[in-house]
Amino acid sequence: MKPLLLSLLLLVSLCPIANAEQSNTLPSEESNPVELNIWGAANFDAIEPLLKAYQAQFPEITIVYVEHSSLELFNRVLSLRPADKKPDVLMSPAMDLQFKLVNDGYAKPYQSEVTDALPNWAKWRDEAFGFTFEPIVMVINQDILGHRAMPESREALLSLIREQSPLVQGKIGLSDIETVGLGYLTWFHDSQQSRTYGRLLEAFGSHHAQLYPNSSAMLQALLRGEIFIAYNVLGSYAFEWSQTYPWIKTVMPTDYTSAVMRTAFIFREAKNLQQAQSFIDFLLSDDGQTVLAQASSLIPLSENAVGPNSLLEIRRKPHGIFRPIVFGLPLLVQTDQAKRALLLEEWRHAMRTAP
Amino acid sequence: MRAKTSSIRRQLLIMTLIVLTVINGVAIWTADLYANRAAKLSYDRLIHGAALQIAENINLLDHKVMVDLPVSAFETLALAPEDRAYYSVTSEKGILLTGYEDLPNASHAVKKDRSSQENSAEPVYFDSVYRGEDVRFITLTKRLIESDNSEVVHVTIGQTILARKQLADEMGGLVIQFLITFFCITLGLLMFGIWRVLRPLKSLRRAIEQRSSTELTPLNTDVPSEIRPLLETVNFFMSQLNMTLERLKRFTSEAAHQLRTPLAGVNLQAQNALVEQDEFKRQQQLRDIIKSSELLTDTVNHLLEEATLTHRMRSQAFHPVQLDVLTKDVCRSLVVWALESEVEIEYLGQISASCLGDDVALTQMLRNIIENAVKYSPKQSVVQVNLYREQELLCLTVADHGNGISDEDKQHVFERFYRSKHNHTVGTGIGLSIAKEVAEHHGARLMLADNQPHGLLIEVLFEANGETV
Repeated sequence: MKPLLLSLLLLVSLCPIANAEQSNTLPSEESNPVELNIWGAANFDAIEPLLKAYQAQFPEITIVYVEHSSLELFNRVLSLRPADKKPDVLMSPAMDLQFKLVNDGYAKPYQSEVTDALPNWAKWRDEAFGFTFEPIVMVINQDILGHRAMPESREALLSLIREQSPLVQGKIGLSDIETVGLGYLTWFHDSQQSRTYGRLLEAFGSHHAQLYPNSSAMLQALLRGEIFIAYNVLGSYAFEWSQTYPWIKTVMPTDYTSAVMRTAFIFREAKNLQQAQSFIDFLLSDDGQTVLAQASSLIPLSENAVGPNSLLEIRRKPHGIFRPIVFGLPLLVQTDQAKRALLLEEWRHAMRTAP
Repeated sequence: MRAKTSSIRRQLLIMTLIVLTVINGVAIWTADLYANRAAKLSYDRLIHGAALQIAENINLLDHKVMVDLPVSAFETLALAPEDRAYYSVTSEKGILLTGYEDLPNASHAVKKDRSSQENSAEPVYFDSVYRGEDVRFITLTKRLIESDNSEVVHVTIGQTILARKQLADEMGGLVIQFLITFFCITLGLLMFGIWRVLRPLKSLRRAIEQRSSTELTPLNTDVPSEIRPLLETVNFFMSQLNMTLERLKRFTSEAAHQLRTPLAGVNLQAQNALVEQDEFKRQQQLRDIIKSSELLTDTVNHLLEEATLTHRMRSQAFHPVQLDVLTKDVCRSLVVWALESEVEIEYLGQISASCLGDDVALTQMLRNIIENAVKYSPKQSVVQVNLYREQELLCLTVADHGNGISDEDKQHVFERFYRSKHNHTVGTGIGLSIAKEVAEHHGARLMLADNQPHGLLIEVLFEANGETV
């Protein structure tokens, strides 16, 4: 049973890997470099400043950053064979998948002054550590508004879709929750939180929502005019884009704003344990967090970090009640096969109901 | 035994410590048991609650089991925030419906239980090691019923035991903290109590220490009733000692006086004799000197005797003594000496009797009495010695036919060195007092009476011990 399941998972994970897996290396300039293998779901562009800042402190380390989608990352870890090259640190915003890995014993505990300083909700068992706090937003091309006001809540979004129904037909973008870990996570969170969930699902289905493999792809489509509305996009990218392209507006829904936390953990079989630990310390330290706030689009968790992307800046923008997804046992429900099947069935059913 | 001095304080302290340690040990052990049990129970209820919530969300729909995991079940489990959790839902045949497929032994534990409780929702708990950690599992069985179909599913939840241990440690730690405080306070109070209780002993010791070596008056320290007998014994002992000392003091001064006066007399007589011209007078004076020195010898002998006897009476244990044989022996030894004074000694005793006593002391007593009687007997008279039984008493009597002693003198003859002013015979004045001491030492009474028609009758009355024949 188990090998069969594993091979199935492997198959599932191999298909998208072919085009999604991307390896980037930041070579050390010293003669005897040590390697640090990081598997992450963040765009290399977004994470590069952090890696470089880390390398500046530890020039003897060659950093290999392998980029997966969050679901692939999970499946790759499950299907690792003894001979495979193992990661040292795993980073992903798909909290449910990260939690499942940690709960199932894939993480190596680590405790230091830096991890101790982390608030309790941002870590679990000294095994997984949150390092960003990212609101989930909707992004809207303001050209479709006409004279209407920008929809500030899901309720307002629904009325906009209703009123502009012909215009937004096929022009709504969503993450493909079947293949995108983060998409599934946020959609599941919506199903738990919102009374508008059912109507949202119906509206998205009936308007032939387009499905995208990640937030960046969705934003690019928005820019190209493929879609006018993107729902449940990672705030860290969206804010960056709407700054560059002013006709794209980022909205943190005022009814409630979901927030996810990127988490990192040290892999159980990490070969470069010492480097992995120093990387975790750097990632959570004020230095690392400030790099995120200033040079990358990711939003650091620490309130000490100062910069255009700091938590304080985000809080200054109009938003609803932050409903962060809690990094804890309830996330196991999201990874449950039966639950997932139920949700996906509902989803597929809705997406197929084209008139 | 004596070398190892035992301290009451130390003993009390050791006993107290042992008792306290045992009590606290038992309490800590019990508290630990209780804390573990309480922690186990509370977290068992937690996973039971979670299992119930999951079970409630399993339904049968068109012959298909639908599992819709409620988030609340996992929020319940998250009340142990640091613990990993595992779950599975399996069908009756053990086919995994959802969750972890390799949870240990759930079906086995259920099977054992199922035979007895077919439809009951009684949970089955078991401990096992899963993924290298101790995990507490619960398996709940639910029968799903549709109109024409029914199905049994098992819900298993496992949770690591970190929170249980923490709770047990916390509760146990509290109890241990309390017990340590309790232990210290109790020990302090008990030490104070012991100090309070033993304080009279210390004050008693100090009262004795502070006395000069010659002060023998009774102690008047205030002591509790348990120590009062000890104090009384000490006081009694001191009064005895005081009496002995007093007697010794008096005796010494009297003896000194008694020896000094005759010695001075002898000295004077000798000087007189030295210058006396008249031969006849000098002869007379020399004879006086001899007489005086003989008396001095007697006195010294008596004093030595008394010292010896006093020592004997202190140290010698009693042995059975044949009183009749002893009396006869003494009479026999004195007969010749008595005849020199033309006095006969007559033994009239018929019985044979024995008593417990010191034969040397008794011999001395008898000797003194008979010598005394002979000394005061006129010439050609008889001293009668008799031994007879009267009721419970054993009577030893010595009777002479001298002038007897006036009633006034009878009160004083037993005083040392007492000499009646009517008495003109030579004597030391110690003999009878020694006799009386010996008699009293033997529990006998020494009594003086008048002999008929005249003379002195000395009676020594022994308590007959039934050993006589």
